[in-house]
Amino acid sequence: MATVDSRTKYWEQAREQGFDLSWLSQLQDHVMGDGVEEYSANDTGRVQGSIPRNNVARFGAYTFRTKSEVWAHNLTKLYEEFITRQWSSATDIPWETIQALPEDIEAAECQLATFFTQVEFVASDVPGRFISTMSPDYQEVRLALLAQVMDESRHLDVFRKRALANGGGLMRMTDSVSDVVGGSTDNAREFTEFSSRLHITGEGNVLTLFRLGEMMAYNDAEKAIYRRCAQDEARHVAIGVLHLRYMNEFSPERREEIHCYLDEGESRQATGAGGENPAGQNQLTSQALAVLLGGGKDKMDEGQNILRAIRQRQTKEYFQRLKSAGFDDRIHNGRVSPVLLEQYKAAA
Amino acid sequence: MYGLSQILLPLRLVMALEEEQQQAESEGNEPAAAPEAPPSANAEPLAWMKDTVQWGVRAEPGKHGLTMRDLNVGIYGEIPESSSDMSRRPRGAFPIPGVPRTDLYALSAKVDLWADNAVDLYEEAIQRRWMGHLEVDWDDITPQPIEVELAMRQLCTELAQQASMETDIIGQWLHKMNYAYHEVKTFLASEIFDTGRHYTLFRRRALHNDGSLGLESAGQFNRRMMETRPGWTEVGMFLYMVRGPLTLLLYRYGEAYARNRADKFLFRKCVEDKARHMAYGMAHVKYAVDNQPPGFGQGLGNLMRGVERDLVRDLKDPVLWEALAIIISGSVANMAQGMAVVEDFKQRYIEDYLKRMQWAGINKTEANLSPDLAAFLRREETAEAGG
Repeated sequence: MATVDSRTKYWEQAREQGFDLSWLSQLQDHVMGDGVEEYSANDTGRVQGSIPRNNVARFGAYTFRTKSEVWAHNLTKLYEEFITRQWSSATDIPWETIQALPEDIEAAECQLATFFTQVEFVASDVPGRFISTMSPDYQEVRLALLAQVMDESRHLDVFRKRALANGGGLMRMTDSVSDVVGGSTDNAREFTEFSSRLHITGEGNVLTLFRLGEMMAYNDAEKAIYRRCAQDEARHVAIGVLHLRYMNEFSPERREEIHCYLDEGESRQATGAGGENPAGQNQLTSQALAVLLGGGKDKMDEGQNILRAIRQRQTKEYFQRLKSAGFDDRIHNGRVSPVLLEQYKAAA
Repeated sequence: MYGLSQILLPLRLVMALEEEQQQAESEGNEPAAAPEAPPSANAEPLAWMKDTVQWGVRAEPGKHGLTMRDLNVGIYGEIPESSSDMSRRPRGAFPIPGVPRTDLYALSAKVDLWADNAVDLYEEAIQRRWMGHLEVDWDDITPQPIEVELAMRQLCTELAQQASMETDIIGQWLHKMNYAYHEVKTFLASEIFDTGRHYTLFRRRALHNDGSLGLESAGQFNRRMMETRPGWTEVGMFLYMVRGPLTLLLYRYGEAYARNRADKFLFRKCVEDKARHMAYGMAHVKYAVDNQPPGFGQGLGNLMRGVERDLVRDLKDPVLWEALAIIISGSVANMAQGMAVVEDFKQRYIEDYLKRMQWAGINKTEANLSPDLAAFLRREETAEAGG
């Protein structure tokens, strides 16, 4: 082991040979700060905590460069869970358990699978768009989002597989654009707006449905699909809840703005507009769900009753998310959608 | 198409829907079913049960399970040369007329993004997934002499930034890709997932043993990749045929000169991931050169004339190379020997770059290479390293 004196000596000798080594001294003296900066001046894409250099091209015109716009606590832990709980739609689903189903049931399964194949694309594209507009100094958020993109890709993949694995096929696409009032997840340009729409409302509703997958599954393969997708979806919803919780705590001045996003989300949840909620009223998918839940096209009454209970469950879980994020005042002050409030009371 | 007898909605369901609609309207919310609602929502109950372009598909699992390639049967396997569908309709799903556009997908031609191997690489990415925070034996990484520790921190900082830049670059383009080519989109999703893992692990490696991060990257080529706008093919050429070989060689040398099993494992797994990324990228660039109008490949070659000057500027920056020389030689005192290996590294890198460009059909040879890059080729090999 070299002593400090001898090291100094041969570092000097190396410099005399033409080596630069100034970086070595910089590294030796570099002390990284604790925590994440409130404002990111990073415009070169450097790794958070690395040593900036003067002669590097400035190309990182990141749109999101304040912590309060994007941050959430505990995302590192959540990201590790993303990594740990990845699964394969090819090998982790017992496809061999799928057997021929009555034609109306197969059609309903395929219609629902077509819907999920389509909407999971949304949840893949839109988070992806935000990653590259966010300063790398907030890498924890970027990591959670890119892990979500991976999950959603697997979801569209697994539902496409389901539609094409059992003698059926893809069915009717979903019109997710007509009838949308106000902003949409697709069009969101602001991260909190996007997250409240996608994570809190949109994916929250899908999560409830996946959790109840046992009720609409007709074999072990479908049960496995819903169970695994529910685990994934819970992480995505957690991104939104953790972010809103942070906003509530550190950006209280934006609470009213966030309530506006929630107003719109609730309106869509109550009416089914936008087609994001497969259990929403008067949706193509709600008919398919009624067939699956009831046990056939001639038992849709029963299926519709179960679907009504699912909507109530969706609302109950949404209210729980509001409470967890610190936005449950809207439940008590008359701001929450009356339709959802009725559903919540009915579920109690 | 297939036939199912149509049935009317049960009366109770109709009444329930009407009741919900009246309730919503009376409370000032959007009506449950607007007059323009899609056909499925009103006129013909359960009409959707007939709405399929191809029925009776039964994709069979193979020895690797039920893969995405297994699904490409019948009309579901027909990859369009271009798609004007801007509605996010899954390929092969039943279209409905009058659906407004969801987005404007700039990359809607197969030639702009396609590679035949993307579908298999996507499945491979998932089946070969790994968990660095658990699988790397971090306790095995014991402190090295300070110079080697510092050099390793610098190398890992550089690799973390390369991974992060890759995330940014793909993130800029992924949402512009039309859904008709979901094989490519899902593969690229797996790639940014990999880059996230690489970033995390190299950052963690740099910080191990009470470490800290080193200097940021030189950055000229990063800017080139980030600011390129003409198309994904151009970006792909930069990312997979210029930057990719450099990253891959750094991983290979990292594995070859690792001083413990943990580092060796880390670099080896990253080699696997990076090789997969480059397999897609090279296949895509070749596909584009083969299928774009004549002169496209020549244009890519011409584009490289300026790009190579950016690359030269980065390659002349001493920080990464001196760090690598110290890691290879084990000390500053012996870094002259280490630098000889680094010079071999650079030569291999440029040779690799030329071979890959030529494989893709781009006329890039020593004769038309930037003189500064060509200089790396004109030297005697002094050492052998890497895989």
